[in-house]
Amino acid sequence: MARIAIVDSDLSFNSEPDDTLLRAGLRANLNFPYECNVGSCGTCKFELVSGEIKVLSETAPGLSDRDRKKGRQLACQCIPMGECVIKIRQEEGPPAEFCPARLKAKLIKVTDVTHDIREFQFQAVSPATFIPGQYAMLQLPGVSGERAYSMSNLPNDDGVWSFMIRRVPQGVGTQVLFDGLTLGDEIGIDGPFGKAYYRSESERDLVCIAGGSGLAPMLSIARAWSNKPKGNQERLTFFYGGRESRDICGETMLQQLPEFNQQLQFIPSVSNTGSGEAMNSWKGRTGFIHEVMHGFEGLDYANSDFYIAGPPVMTQSVMDFLRESHAVPQERIYFDRFF
Amino acid sequence: MSASNSVDIQDAIRLCQVTDVAEGNGLQINLPERPPLAVFKIEGQIFVTDDTCTHGQASLCEGEIEDGVVECPFHQGAFEIATGKAISAPCSVHLKTYQPILVGEDVFVHLDKGSS
Repeated sequence: MARIAIVDSDLSFNSEPDDTLLRAGLRANLNFPYECNVGSCGTCKFELVSGEIKVLSETAPGLSDRDRKKGRQLACQCIPMGECVIKIRQEEGPPAEFCPARLKAKLIKVTDVTHDIREFQFQAVSPATFIPGQYAMLQLPGVSGERAYSMSNLPNDDGVWSFMIRRVPQGVGTQVLFDGLTLGDEIGIDGPFGKAYYRSESERDLVCIAGGSGLAPMLSIARAWSNKPKGNQERLTFFYGGRESRDICGETMLQQLPEFNQQLQFIPSVSNTGSGEAMNSWKGRTGFIHEVMHGFEGLDYANSDFYIAGPPVMTQSVMDFLRESHAVPQERIYFDRFF
Repeated sequence: MSASNSVDIQDAIRLCQVTDVAEGNGLQINLPERPPLAVFKIEGQIFVTDDTCTHGQASLCEGEIEDGVVECPFHQGAFEIATGKAISAPCSVHLKTYQPILVGEDVFVHLDKGSS
């Protein structure tokens, strides 16, 4: 165990072997800045004042040349090798409601969602504590490194963690999940993580925008929205974008919610507008999600919270659209930047 | 720096005087009913951008300025002051910039002519 001190403060915390500085700090309930946990977003920068660290990725995209010249590191990519003193800025406001913790869980159910997305359910012995919209890091047997996946279910005392995961061609992690694991096999789960969690206290309309396996956190948020006491004027508009009609999913889960087709509207869209048999069978909206939103009349941009989860291009396009076309302030747009 | 009286300052808003901004620094300008602007002076030249970082709720006027780049004090994302271009994560959305109009010692901008 290594003791880590934060310079110019009275704060210090312990880091377990193989834990990154970021995760060790979050486990100690410190409010460290971060979003992705995987070296991409560049939010968890810090400076090493003294001590020795092991860097997991020297080429993490979250660090610019400018950062490297200034001697900055990413807390999510550094493992302390002994006592360290670091310089890091803590976020304002209270820290996360749940500190991340490592646990073991067994695969109990696998369900096909689309041709390449499956829902995997794992059972742990302790309650599944997280806020809808958050994610966990999965440690899979025989796979080096961990993978970040968002929960699709609601927090529960039964210890069930559900993830919707898209098969990545030649992806080592998803190959194990899709082809290697059988029911009863054990994996490691570390979580919860993420700042793009549902702010249930808001009474504004809710807009969920998902693509690919980004369905999972948006579904979790939609379920939490459905469960909360609310006025009958509060609406949820749920956009889902796929390349082809066979990519579209989410409707069967949302239909389970009593508000479906009343306060809750599901708007799927297909972006591949080529001819082809699959396209000819699609009778719904076409275009990228930000284009569909542009032509959709039913949103109150001045009085809505926007949650986004999906491929980077989709997230960026939607974010640009919200800011430039409707001046939605960034404090009403929630997403974790995995790019 | 070139001052001009021939430019159209009708509907432009006066932000400050050139001398109000220290060399190599940014001055936050608060305006009614809109987010603040930042007036920077880099090697004697005036630049105007939005003051709020495009990633978090931070004032860029409180950030470090070096080589024409301002760095957000929250997460060290960075922007080129002259162009507003985001050049360091976690910032990816460019910063809106405004063409400063100098009339004598006064700095004006057209708020509706910002570019991002």
